[in-house]
Amino acid sequence: MLELRDLSRRYGQIVALDGLSLTVPDGEVVGFVGPNGAGKTTAMRIALGVLDRDTGEVLWRGAPVTREQQRLFGYMPEERGLYPKMRVDRHLRYLAQLHGRDPGAAGGAAARWIERLGIAKHAEQRIEELSLGNQQRVQLAAALVHDPPVLILDEPFSGLDPIGTDVMSQVLAERAADGAAVIFSSHQLELVERICDRVAIVNRGRIVAQGRVDELRAQRSRPRLRVEVEGAPDGWPQRLAGVQVVARDERGVLLELADGAEDQQVLEAATRAGRVRLFAPARPTLAELFREVVEQ
Amino acid sequence: MSFRRATMLVARREFGERIRTRALQISTLVTVLIVAAIATAAGLFGDDGPENFTVAAQGAEAVSIAEAARATGRSFDARIEVKRFTDRTQARAAARNGDVDAAIVGEEILGEDALPTELEGALQAAARQVRATAALREEGVEPNAAQRALAPPALHVRTLGTQDDGRRGIAFVASLLLYLQLIVFGLSVASGVVEEKSSRVVEILLAAVPGRALLAGKILGIGLVGLLQLALIAVVGLVSASLSGAIELDSDHAGVLAVVLVWFVLGYVLYAALYAVAGVIVSRQEDMSSSSTPVTMILVAGYLVAFPVLEDPDGSLATFTSLLPLTSPIVMPVRAVMGDAGATEIAASLGLLVLAIALLIPLAARIYEGSVLRMGKPLKLREALRAARATR
Repeated sequence: MLELRDLSRRYGQIVALDGLSLTVPDGEVVGFVGPNGAGKTTAMRIALGVLDRDTGEVLWRGAPVTREQQRLFGYMPEERGLYPKMRVDRHLRYLAQLHGRDPGAAGGAAARWIERLGIAKHAEQRIEELSLGNQQRVQLAAALVHDPPVLILDEPFSGLDPIGTDVMSQVLAERAADGAAVIFSSHQLELVERICDRVAIVNRGRIVAQGRVDELRAQRSRPRLRVEVEGAPDGWPQRLAGVQVVARDERGVLLELADGAEDQQVLEAATRAGRVRLFAPARPTLAELFREVVEQ
Repeated sequence: MSFRRATMLVARREFGERIRTRALQISTLVTVLIVAAIATAAGLFGDDGPENFTVAAQGAEAVSIAEAARATGRSFDARIEVKRFTDRTQARAAARNGDVDAAIVGEEILGEDALPTELEGALQAAARQVRATAALREEGVEPNAAQRALAPPALHVRTLGTQDDGRRGIAFVASLLLYLQLIVFGLSVASGVVEEKSSRVVEILLAAVPGRALLAGKILGIGLVGLLQLALIAVVGLVSASLSGAIELDSDHAGVLAVVLVWFVLGYVLYAALYAVAGVIVSRQEDMSSSSTPVTMILVAGYLVAFPVLEDPDGSLATFTSLLPLTSPIVMPVRAVMGDAGATEIAASLGLLVLAIALLIPLAARIYEGSVLRMGKPLKLREALRAARATR
């Protein structure tokens, strides 16, 4: 388990992290989301030891992480980069060795990941000769080639085509199933919702929500209902006490219930207004939760 | 993983990737060919080095004269081979056809054209010696005594001035080679550092190994390529110069080679540290030329100083610049090769250079670690120093 505890970091006058705390359990994939400039990259760099923190702690398996342990973490930086003139196979073998693998194991691991990520026919080409999509795959292999116990990926899905996205999602799930702690940042909230066990939402250098997506939904204080009533006048829910119309389209409305408002009262009102076609609790998407906590 | 192992891994990559590049292979080949051509030309067109001659001899006295000339020819810059003839006409014919450079027949030395001065000098001296020995023997002087009287030990020649053109030529070539190698491989370090920044690969490297291991490995790996290339060029130059007769290889030349390589290694480490700083404060190859120019200017100045030093290797300019660590890697080898620097001066120059390296390397490493992740517009040296102070 990787834990970031109360991290702070300033760049001159700019506060990048302001007491950020975050947990990445072993065997889980954590989605790290937040607006641009919220502090995601800074937090990840500190977790890796590439950047110094001002205050706070990084814990690994319950104890302060050492630089040696951090060197075993797998990393995919937001700014992609490999040696453009180096051959794919040599490059991956080199990185595996830098992470402490002996030459034989490094060669084997490089070959395995080249195969797994479908770039075998490019193994002897130079990085600069590959398409951008294939360069991305090499970049992922670079993060994985030494079987890291922790994977920290900054925007791994940006620039991937749908097939690349599938491969990336699968690989992350596999690594988590093997017991690795995986965290990645992304702006693609539907994707995060689909493949992550947990989500951490960061804003202005602090975590504003953290947990499983259904837990986050449950934490939201006001339940919402999606109601579609055929033949009802437009204003049918407006007189109900404690009920607010959040959104409206030609087929129905999205209602939010204040404390004490009963969904059964809404149902009765709807039945009186016309033929009820749909009456269901509205599960907020991660994107909706995100907007709520970030715009607060 | 230990610092040492990380450094070795990085150095191995730098070395392996660089010697695989076509550019290095071609430039090495071209340089070696040029050096070999120059050294060969110096032997073919230069006026020093012995000439080869073949001399025909007919008759007992003529053979004695020719053999004596062969023995003493070296002091006349003539390397003489003797061909014996039993028939006078054949010996004459050989000289007429140019099969031999000269034929000694009776009282005459025959040549196709005028005899080269080296050859004539050697033959006349030998003739004098042989005939005088014979004359003395007829007077009853014992042969050995006659020999001793006629071939006394030669005077030993010692040069006092700095007019030794062979050494000066070698010193000039040494300074040129050192200057070029330091610039080329120093700039390789700078552009290697920038390449890692501009391609952003540095971030995943730093996640795996410490910044100073990355820097040390880069300097080591590139330096090894430079050292091997320099050694190859120097050896090819010396060997082809000796094959063409421009120089006679001896232990002195091994000394010259050692001096050049030692000063290259130390000079390279010093300049590599400076060039690494020039590289790390920028993020794009386009910005590198301006940030590395000051370092290159110092090297150019060192090379320009080598010219007056070649003329006046004992002057105060020579003494000062051969001790100053920034210029000593080029100037001191010049003085050492010309034989104008004493052991104390050489030791002092080496000591100062090592001291400068010992002071500069930790500073350069800190600047490197402080700035290597700073992307964007070029940093001022002041900003880089501030970032270096902030590094752990």
